[in-house]
Amino acid sequence: MSDQIGPVFAALADPTRRTMVQSLLRDGTTTVPTLTAALPISRQAVAKHLATLDGAGLIERAPGQGREVRYRLREGALAPAASWLTETQHEWDDRLARLKASVEAAARPSRTR
Amino acid sequence: MGVVREVDIDAPPEDVWDALVTEEGRERWLGEDAPPVEIERFEPHHRLVWQWEGGDGSVSTVDFRIVALPAGSRVIVTETAPALPLASLCAAFALVAA
Repeated sequence: MSDQIGPVFAALADPTRRTMVQSLLRDGTTTVPTLTAALPISRQAVAKHLATLDGAGLIERAPGQGREVRYRLREGALAPAASWLTETQHEWDDRLARLKASVEAAARPSRTR
Repeated sequence: MGVVREVDIDAPPEDVWDALVTEEGRERWLGEDAPPVEIERFEPHHRLVWQWEGGDGSVSTVDFRIVALPAGSRVIVTETAPALPLASLCAAFALVAA
């Protein structure tokens, strides 16, 4: 799993690429012209960011309608990174509950300080 | 930044500190199978930062802050994997997790 989440997190570290992913989450598919119109960057920069997202396995070409190249999110691509976050949160909730129990069990009573 | 969780403990920061810095203390709440920790930053009773290796081989940083409360302590823990710039991702994943 770690060989998957590394590139995904790296690709998503960039705010422009995050914006692209968010618009894909919202709209389903997008194109270079659509993104170029929506973002304050050049067509070349848009294409480069899309290539990075593609390289991380986050997006793919949607089946074509005519000449226009449409991109969409690759199904399940975000899942490993999202589960890392969720699992880590749950692990710390459990660990902190055990920390609390063990410290309080061993405690010099704090209320009488 | 990273994954941030916190807990309030009914014991003074000194007690919490002991549970974090001593191996014996850690064993009581992390268990015996926890990976070894490499301490990076050490400010008694206030702040402890360590690195450790996750089950998948990725090294992450764990940052504890201990804040004294009128009747006890608050522990705020932040876990960040160096290869994973989590701070910037919360917005992206808020959408996915929902």
